[in-house]
Amino acid sequence: MTLAALSACSYAGVFAYTLARSGRALPATGALGSVGGLLLVVVLVRANAELVPWPLAFLGVAYGVELVVRGSSVDGAAPLIAVGLLLCGELAAWSVDERLRISAERAVRRARAVALGALAFGSLALAALVVALAAAPAGSGLAWTVLGAAGTVAVVGLAVRLARRG
Amino acid sequence: MTQHVSPRLAAYVALAAAGLLAGLVLGRVELVALAAPFALAAVVAPALARAPNLRVALELDRERALESEVVDATLSLTAAEYGRLDVFLDLPPGLSTAGRNPRALALAAGEERTLELPLRCNRWGAFVLGPPLLRAHDRLGFYSWETRLGGRAALRVYPSVETLHALLAPLETQVFVGNQVSRTKGDGIEFADIRAWGPGDRPRRINWRATARRGELWVNEQHPERNTDVVLFLDTFTDAQSGGRGTLDLTVRAATSLAHRYLQRKDRVGLVSFGGYLSWLEPESGTRQLYRIVDSLLQMDIVLSFAARDVAVLPPRSLPPKALVLALTPMLDPRTGPALLDLRARGFDLVVVEVSPVPFVDSGGGELEQLSYRLWRLSREALRARYQQAGVPIVEWADGVPLNVPLEEVSAFRRYAKPARA
Repeated sequence: MTLAALSACSYAGVFAYTLARSGRALPATGALGSVGGLLLVVVLVRANAELVPWPLAFLGVAYGVELVVRGSSVDGAAPLIAVGLLLCGELAAWSVDERLRISAERAVRRARAVALGALAFGSLALAALVVALAAAPAGSGLAWTVLGAAGTVAVVGLAVRLARRG
Repeated sequence: MTQHVSPRLAAYVALAAAGLLAGLVLGRVELVALAAPFALAAVVAPALARAPNLRVALELDRERALESEVVDATLSLTAAEYGRLDVFLDLPPGLSTAGRNPRALALAAGEERTLELPLRCNRWGAFVLGPPLLRAHDRLGFYSWETRLGGRAALRVYPSVETLHALLAPLETQVFVGNQVSRTKGDGIEFADIRAWGPGDRPRRINWRATARRGELWVNEQHPERNTDVVLFLDTFTDAQSGGRGTLDLTVRAATSLAHRYLQRKDRVGLVSFGGYLSWLEPESGTRQLYRIVDSLLQMDIVLSFAARDVAVLPPRSLPPKALVLALTPMLDPRTGPALLDLRARGFDLVVVEVSPVPFVDSGGGELEQLSYRLWRLSREALRARYQQAGVPIVEWADGVPLNVPLEEVSAFRRYAKPARA
């Protein structure tokens, strides 16, 4: 119940932020977010884990619409929005998992909470890095080019390694 | 070990891809930032996922128990990787536990954990427990691995034995020494009669009081103590069940109590399971035979068969002459009646305890159902009358009634009715 409430709170927070910034796009973002909210309620009430990504997708689209309508200024709160969406999905999935009648030790819950916290923290850092990198002036030297190339190689290398493992 | 991947992971990959693509098309870095957590989760989860190398052992504190006793099951678990582990020991219907089953625990790498699970034996039976079902999860619940490990453990739950105050005495005894006072006269303790002295009579058997009164030598006669052969004849063609209890359950309980009590009395007890699956145990005495009988009873089950059966298929040694044949039958299958009457016709001392299926049968609500129910009851009465006409004592025994009651009824029947010789 607590997990479901936290998930709903997380969704409500992101939705409220999107609505507050919507302006002209309010009908579109409001409709998309409401549909997502209804889906989240279905997920939490009926314990349907397969529907978890859909509320996130709807709210993400609503946020995207708001960004496009608003214009070219970069939203500095985007990393928080991203982590909010992730937490909403993860908490909803965890809430569904807890519906199974399995008596779990406190250490099990603690371990998942720690892992989720670490993922959220890492996500925040990554999203913030993305936003910060985007703010850097483009074409300002060899260092950025090398960093970009190294990053690309690292991502491709990681993908290949994971593909081999799979 | 079967690996399962949560559909959430694929959805996160799709969300990340959609966010990145949208960010590229629309030129919005916020959408890339929005995709970043999902991309991170999609990368980190497979990178950290490791199939746990589990070692599991299942043990019971003992292999045999009585009904309503508690047996402790111990599960020893070790994993090479840290993770959440769900453990579930699938329990057969006759066993239950007040412990936590299933249970989720956090197992550190190399840590050995021992789980105690108290198992309550609710019903008799031969059970095989395990192997336990194990499901390991990664830290975020994206990957899980499922397997059954830990081997099996056998548990035999014996039915509780009812206290029987008196047993049925067979009409004839065997030649070996036992606790049953024989009807014949010979060397023994129980006084039988006096008779005139004859050559070969021992002086210590002289009844001096009778001798003094009659003026010639008279000697005492005694009833010797002999053992008896008892064959428990179980009808296992059909079973009437309701609410977890049934005629087979009652039959097995009664047979266990009778075997236990007769063997305590140093009699020889045999067993015949007359049903779809035919089995028998030749009469023997002793504790070993009791275990043999009870083990055989634990495996007793209803096997549907349409094959014709009669007592001719039984080996002669399973039904020794002069044996008391104690039949426990719900009288539901038409093959049992002729077989039992055939035994009576062969001169066996037959007693039929009818394990009543009536409490397990719903009489129905409709008029037609009520009529058919009454007809069925009447047909049972008619069958009972056939046994009585053949001189076979038959008593009805219903669930909840002590076994002493039908045994006493048979004794009363025998007291007032002379055995009919076929």
